[in-house]
Amino acid sequence: MAYIEFKDIDKFYGKNHVLRGINLEIEQGDFVTLLGPSGCGKSTLLRCLAGLEQTSGGKIILDGEDITQKDPKDRNIGMVFQQYSLFPNMTVKENLAFGLKLQKLPANEIEKRVKDSIEMVELMGKENEYPSNLSGGQQQRVALARGIVMRPKVLLLDEPLSAIDAKLRKSLQTSIREIHKELGLTSVFVTHDQDEAMVMSDVIHLFHDGIIEQSGNPVNIYTKPATPFAAGFIGNYNILNRADMKKLTGKDWDGDIAIRPETLILSREQISSGESYKMQGEILDRVPRGNVLRYKVRTNGVEVYVDVLFRSASMYEIGDTAFMALADHNCVRL
Amino acid sequence: MQKKKNIGAKIIVIVVIAYLLLPLLMTLIYSLFKEWIDVVPTGFTFAAYAELLADPAFWQSVLRTVIISVIPIALCTVFVLLAMYVVVLYHPEWDRFMQVLCTIPYAIQGVILPICVLSLYTGAPEPLNNRMVMLVATYMVVILPYVYQGIRNNIAGVGAGRLIEAAQMLGASKLYAFFRVVIPNIMSGVTVSVMLAMAIVFGDFVIINTLAGGHFMTAQMYMYDVMKKSGQRTCAVIIILFVVTLLISGFAFVLQSKQGKKKTK
Ligand SMILES: Nc1ncnc2c1ncn2[C@@H]1O[C@H](COP(=O)(O)OP(=O)(O)OP(=O)(O)O)[C@@H](O)[C@H]1O
Ligand SMILES: [Mg+2]
Repeated sequence: MAYIEFKDIDKFYGKNHVLRGINLEIEQGDFVTLLGPSGCGKSTLLRCLAGLEQTSGGKIILDGEDITQKDPKDRNIGMVFQQYSLFPNMTVKENLAFGLKLQKLPANEIEKRVKDSIEMVELMGKENEYPSNLSGGQQQRVALARGIVMRPKVLLLDEPLSAIDAKLRKSLQTSIREIHKELGLTSVFVTHDQDEAMVMSDVIHLFHDGIIEQSGNPVNIYTKPATPFAAGFIGNYNILNRADMKKLTGKDWDGDIAIRPETLILSREQISSGESYKMQGEILDRVPRGNVLRYKVRTNGVEVYVDVLFRSASMYEIGDTAFMALADHNCVRL
Repeated sequence: MQKKKNIGAKIIVIVVIAYLLLPLLMTLIYSLFKEWIDVVPTGFTFAAYAELLADPAFWQSVLRTVIISVIPIALCTVFVLLAMYVVVLYHPEWDRFMQVLCTIPYAIQGVILPICVLSLYTGAPEPLNNRMVMLVATYMVVILPYVYQGIRNNIAGVGAGRLIEAAQMLGASKLYAFFRVVIPNIMSGVTVSVMLAMAIVFGDFVIINTLAGGHFMTAQMYMYDVMKKSGQRTCAVIIILFVVTLLISGFAFVLQSKQGKKKTK
């Protein structure tokens, strides 16, 4: 039996059907990400698990116990919010001790746990600062420490990094991952950023309009999108219908096909290797994206994106003609 | 450049302070001297103060004024806090309704309110027809918009909903979270609106004269009486009332900052 189970979870806000019969299982010790575009219901599901939102139907089981009707304070779940939500009138230390004091733990135990958590998020020396004197990144570290100091059964993180700049974000992603491993936590992370989901997760659940489109590990989700939405949301897939696929490959297809841009091969010479489909195209556009160049290529009236490693020596100019090849196993049936 | 600006700013602040304090200073001087010949006051004396302080009627009126301002403000603040607890935690959709409701008293200002209260409640059974009860209740209505707006803005400002959720995730009940997390964080703001309410009640003459006139005396009415007899004593009353208000405000601020300190210890 899974550690956390959502069974047929429904949630309505008035007439707005936000969660449509969610069934989801989370294993103990996993780092699970709910990924999806804005407004698809990720936060709502997380808040139902936290108890901050009532479900309209269905059951939530945690560690073998039905917690659907339980108060948030009795669920033993930790949460890190997007807006930090630290208590402004308390120092870092007091923020961390808040919940421990409520549990009436002995003072030396509180002291020790607070100290451990502060060390874990590397905020030594900031114990007696007020939140307003800390940077955004530091505040989020405090929020993270406050989430783990209670030793919760599950740690929930609702887009904790979205207000933090790109560089700091990377380092916090690593910290969160490490803390998750070190404490053997079960974590549920919410994000709308597919790269972040790829980097951090053991399992990704892709959300769309209140249902789960696809679940799997990051490699699986990336290489084998199961639906047009999944292909569109992840990895900038080229999504082609039957007619376009016929024009591209000269063969009949039985449905929509997704092709990752980096699986198309561009060359100046005729390609003789064993790729399944070969064609010729015209370069329409060229955009540098970090270490790859993304070309827009038109071949036989079909436009596709092709990613090529950025080497200035072998760049194509707009208007150039290039040979192109594609392997059959890189055409993902949706 | 920076320094020049600073000096300019300081001068402006000093001028404004002087402008605001000048009348008070003149009142003080006037209360301390017998006569005012040409530009120089002469005959320094505490006589006006001595007379006042020896008059039990004066003390009684001041005490009454303090009571009928402190009680309605305290009650009003507590009621609004309790109402906001329900609105923030259970019925956020009631917020707009509350806002309209609490703004209505703005519209019934001046002499209309006390006259309506009088004509409605003079024949009513005890304790509704008690003038003191009428006064306290009427003042609660008058200061409601100020107290409500102050508390509401502060609750919104600290993000009460989010703080309560965070506290709940740490094992606190909603009630505990509201009183132990939200309230300490809005205390300074609440103190400001309480002071504002205090100023409004202390400055009122219309309501108190209509409701209590002829039944008992308050500081305002005492002053009005004295004004007909002696300018110097009037000034002394004003200074004493000012000191009393100052003491009450000071007391409130000390209480508030002490609480703040305790929370951070
Ligand atoms: N308190 C609420 N009252 C009414 N509708 C709500 C409430 N909270 C969320 N919704 C609606 O529920 C839907 C899902 O919201 P949710 O916050 O779960 O989205 P999300 O996936 O977390 O999006 P984002 O990435 O923008 O945070 C949205 O259409 C939103 O308008
Ligand atoms: Mg969200």
